[in-house]
Amino acid sequence: MFVYDFRKFMSVLLLLGMVIGLAACQPVITRQDPNTVTDLSGKWNDTDSRKVSQEMIQDVLSQRWLSKFTSRTGQMPTVIVGKVRNLSHEHINTRTFISDIRRALINSGEVSFVASSEERGEIRSERMDQDLHASEASRKAMGNEAGADFMLKGTINTIIDAIEGEQTRFYQVDLTLIDLANNRMVWAGQQKIKKSVERSGVRF
Amino acid sequence: MVTYSLLIRIIALTIASISLVGCMGLGSKAASMRVELEAGHVDNAYAIAEKEDSSEKEVLASLNKGMLRRMKGDYQGSNKIFEVAKNHIEELYGVSITEQAGALIVNDTLRSYVGDRYEQVLLHAYMAMNYIQLDDLDSARIEMKQADVKMMEWGEDPEDDPFVRYLSGIIYEALGEMDQAVISYRLAKKTYESTTEKQNIGVPALLKKDLLRSLASAGFNDELRILKKEFKMGKFNPKPVVKGYGELIVVLNSGLAPLREEVSIRAATSRDIVDFVKIAVPKYPQPKLSYSARLIASNRAVAKLEKVEDIDALARAALSKDLPVITARAIARAVVKHETQETAKERGGALAGFIATVANVATEQADTRSWISLPQNIQMARVRLPVGMNKIRIEIYNASGMLVDMINKQVLVKSGKSTFLTEHWLVPNMGMRAVAEKNRKL
Repeated sequence: MFVYDFRKFMSVLLLLGMVIGLAACQPVITRQDPNTVTDLSGKWNDTDSRKVSQEMIQDVLSQRWLSKFTSRTGQMPTVIVGKVRNLSHEHINTRTFISDIRRALINSGEVSFVASSEERGEIRSERMDQDLHASEASRKAMGNEAGADFMLKGTINTIIDAIEGEQTRFYQVDLTLIDLANNRMVWAGQQKIKKSVERSGVRF
Repeated sequence: MVTYSLLIRIIALTIASISLVGCMGLGSKAASMRVELEAGHVDNAYAIAEKEDSSEKEVLASLNKGMLRRMKGDYQGSNKIFEVAKNHIEELYGVSITEQAGALIVNDTLRSYVGDRYEQVLLHAYMAMNYIQLDDLDSARIEMKQADVKMMEWGEDPEDDPFVRYLSGIIYEALGEMDQAVISYRLAKKTYESTTEKQNIGVPALLKKDLLRSLASAGFNDELRILKKEFKMGKFNPKPVVKGYGELIVVLNSGLAPLREEVSIRAATSRDIVDFVKIAVPKYPQPKLSYSARLIASNRAVAKLEKVEDIDALARAALSKDLPVITARAIARAVVKHETQETAKERGGALAGFIATVANVATEQADTRSWISLPQNIQMARVRLPVGMNKIRIEIYNASGMLVDMINKQVLVKSGKSTFLTEHWLVPNMGMRAVAEKNRKL
């Protein structure tokens, strides 16, 4: 009698504990865009990054700066990635869409990239190392680096409006290509994303 | 037989609820961590905090870990665990039905801890200070924006934190965004004024200078004139940083936040001596005296640190705001518990009733949880120092003006830039003789 009752009681308690443990529920997100996407918290995610890179790539390859440069110099432009400043309210990884854009541009065969200031250090030290240890034939000399013609820079901004339980998030990504010779902006790309996030005031 | 099984059930319930309570409250680990902090043993407190909650599920444990990691200088690790806490707070948004029910039957500690509002915004402030120490001002800026969104959600003034507004302004200014800095400084002034009832700080003299300086630099001359009059600082003339000099901003997290205690009453429900209910609610003991601080550079006093946030007062204000609801819940709980005692007595006799009473008394506990590794207050100084390595010292004085401790630091001041020092000081940890001796040697 005692054993039976106690077990039954404990199992009910355990079940109750599990139910409480499972209780944390997610906010309800409504996306403004017709594309089907997976949104969990309403924060910047892979879908946003992909969306930005896709449209930016299309835009940057279709604009006239590219043909202008090639017809003027007869050469392929060389681009360096500068800083994309995050002025938003979220810790956003900007490298994902920047590397998407870079890859698309390189693969188009019409633009080449040089290592960014962050990457340069490692390559230079490798060259220094080659100077000491590599064979004469395979050694790469210093002072032969290709200088970039353009720098890709940008910002991410957000505007948030919120009241208890509800938020509208507006993201704007601006990218520009700046001619290093004369500071002229030859291309400006912009991508806007808007989301509304609704959170229930009651959870289980 | 019926009586026996009922008795067993009641005993089982008692054991179950007591074990449930044991793992939910402030917890013995958090309490012993606090004891170590009060003794000034940061290393021991850190070791205790790190052992707790290894699955990183509890907001409170993560908040304490984050604060202790930053006290130890591990700013990256601190932000990692603060981020965990932040995400959990977001997940726990809204009122839980099951937890509320639990709070009505057992006690308030069955509700998930998400921190009071002042704790939630300070979390962003400490994350921003960590990023500042990691020389990542852009990320510090992001934290301040998140705090801004949070305060926006809560609505107008009363929930705004003036220090967080002030810190935003300082970060914007350090980033060279004077227009944004002006807005934050203005908001900070407004918030210091509207929270005087809560914090009783008023607009700090430091902020007055910063606001006037930023208004002058952004060219808001009308507002500048009006505010100079309001502050009675007609002669104030903002000077640009001279060449060869840089700015040092010292943020001192001084002392320890107050600890909640339990106060309980026993109300007799009949003439029977074993027939009573216990009602427990949290309260704060008398406030402790706070300490003042002075900044010494190149062997002369350069500034007195000014109080910019009184966390002790914020904690007290938060509790007195919540207390009516907490008390109402405790009384409702007492009614429910009394009902179980009556039922047990009716069906199982006097002994069963007595056991039910014991169980109810044992489980009736006040919710004394709070972020206990926060400082008692935050003090600040902004000074200009020559570019290069500077030896500085922060001297701590007690209420009667006696020197009780000092922090020696070396800071690298850069030309035309702001250098930040965000220090923690817990308790006077030296005898007066030792302090005097140290003073003599310097």
